[in-house]
Amino acid sequence: MAVLHAWRAARVTPLGELHAPPRMTAVLIRLTVQVVLVASLWSGLYAHSGPTAGLSREQAITYAVLAVLASRLRELDQYAGRDSVLQHMHFGTIVYWYLRPLPPARYHALRALGEQVYGAAWALAGYAVCLAVGVVEPPKSAAVAGVFLVSLLLGQLILYFIMLLIDQWCFWMLRNNSAVLILIFAQNLLSGVYAPLWFFPDWFRTMSGFLPFQATLSVPLSLYIGRIRLADAGGQLAIQAGWVVVLFLVTRFLWRRAARRVVSQGG
Amino acid sequence: MNAVRIAWRITRLNIRAQMEYRVEFLLNIAIGAIWQVSVIVFATVLLARFTGMGGWDSSDVLLIPATRMLAHGLFVLFLGRLHGVGRFIQEGIIDIYLVRPLPVHRQVQLQYFPTNAIGDLTVAAGLMAGALSRSQLDWNAGRITYLLACLLGGMLLEAALFTTVACASLRFPAADYWGRWLEELLGTFGSYPLNVLPKAVGGLLTFGLPLAFVAYFPAAVLTGHGHDTGVPYWLAAASPLVGLLAYAAARLLWRWSLDHYTGVNG
Repeated sequence: MAVLHAWRAARVTPLGELHAPPRMTAVLIRLTVQVVLVASLWSGLYAHSGPTAGLSREQAITYAVLAVLASRLRELDQYAGRDSVLQHMHFGTIVYWYLRPLPPARYHALRALGEQVYGAAWALAGYAVCLAVGVVEPPKSAAVAGVFLVSLLLGQLILYFIMLLIDQWCFWMLRNNSAVLILIFAQNLLSGVYAPLWFFPDWFRTMSGFLPFQATLSVPLSLYIGRIRLADAGGQLAIQAGWVVVLFLVTRFLWRRAARRVVSQGG
Repeated sequence: MNAVRIAWRITRLNIRAQMEYRVEFLLNIAIGAIWQVSVIVFATVLLARFTGMGGWDSSDVLLIPATRMLAHGLFVLFLGRLHGVGRFIQEGIIDIYLVRPLPVHRQVQLQYFPTNAIGDLTVAAGLMAGALSRSQLDWNAGRITYLLACLLGGMLLEAALFTTVACASLRFPAADYWGRWLEELLGTFGSYPLNVLPKAVGGLLTFGLPLAFVAYFPAAVLTGHGHDTGVPYWLAAASPLVGLLAYAAARLLWRWSLDHYTGVNG
């Protein structure tokens, strides 16, 4: 029965997407155009220069295209589904999360899981096409592919907890619009979506090493393209796992504190 | 005159409403600034690693993001509420606008005060000052006037693009999704010489999605690269006019779309 409830909660957003063909068409066009543009840009930049910041032309293009595909993993329009924490706080309907048999923390996690699995289907399809047409390079070995998958999974967990922190922010501040935008910026910049972190100055890379964002995308993608050697993967995976544990504990603590702030019908 | 007075009074009220949530107000200013900084970081990182991008000097390239960001800041301040039209439609707010005496477009623009524009414009003005101080060009009255016209043209062109998305939202509220992508595209691909891209892609960003007219062509004309843009010089030089014409066309489309809008009640 628990599995059935989990399935029902997880499939809400993907079902919403499947019932909005214009949005799906938009995703397809956007993903295609973005991949073409990004591949063209890096290929143009490398046209007159050799390996830069330790990255060859092929590595840079593979990294950039995979970053575009990975950004699909969590890019659903939650606002349209009227089920974001921000909206529930605004309309007072957050109380229903606490009246259901399913704990809010689990409901939130299940919704996110559904979204990520749906986004992964898009990313995987895009990856298969890019691989087939030779836009991205395959991993160097099966070991690299395996380590990349583990690292990507840990990275997605970290990303989920960061997004959750921003949602939990609403319990105290009521609004999180700006916090979400700042998070998107920090995530895109510090995880290497805008440009691989290897292109940035040393001080910038040192600073981002102390933050969780680079563990979400930069680490898995660097492992994939071979910029982080397999011999160094253990340490990087351990750091990622450390962030998962820390963020899990912090968000669990905040869920408990948040529950005390929810009042129903005036208390 | 009366319309201006009403708009100003509503704007004052909107500012007070925004300040009700102090932290959110300050974060809003920060987000405008941070968003712009991300564009600068991206452009400068690429500039530092790939010198002589597209055959342009670094000081010349800087003029592209500076022009784009300042035009974008002006757009956010004066016409940026078009972003929210999809949401206004979904929440039925647009139906309320239709029965009020003020034009719908003006009501959309007066929906809230864009606090983030303060941050946007501050960083953009800083970058423009930096770009102008590093520039080797002779900034005479003609060049400055042309730059100002380009900023207004860029603002209008961006407004035209988002007005078109808003028109689509009147028919398909989910079209709002395109607006976010458009903003991302303008930020990412509007900040450096488009001649680094293959010709077909550059053509797409010129005639398909005319973002080249926002900053690339104006900067090319100002810095003497106007003949190497892949389009006739007169067309690149006419960028401010393209912005004006595009906005006028978009407003006609808006009026037509609004006439054909049917809410949930028919």
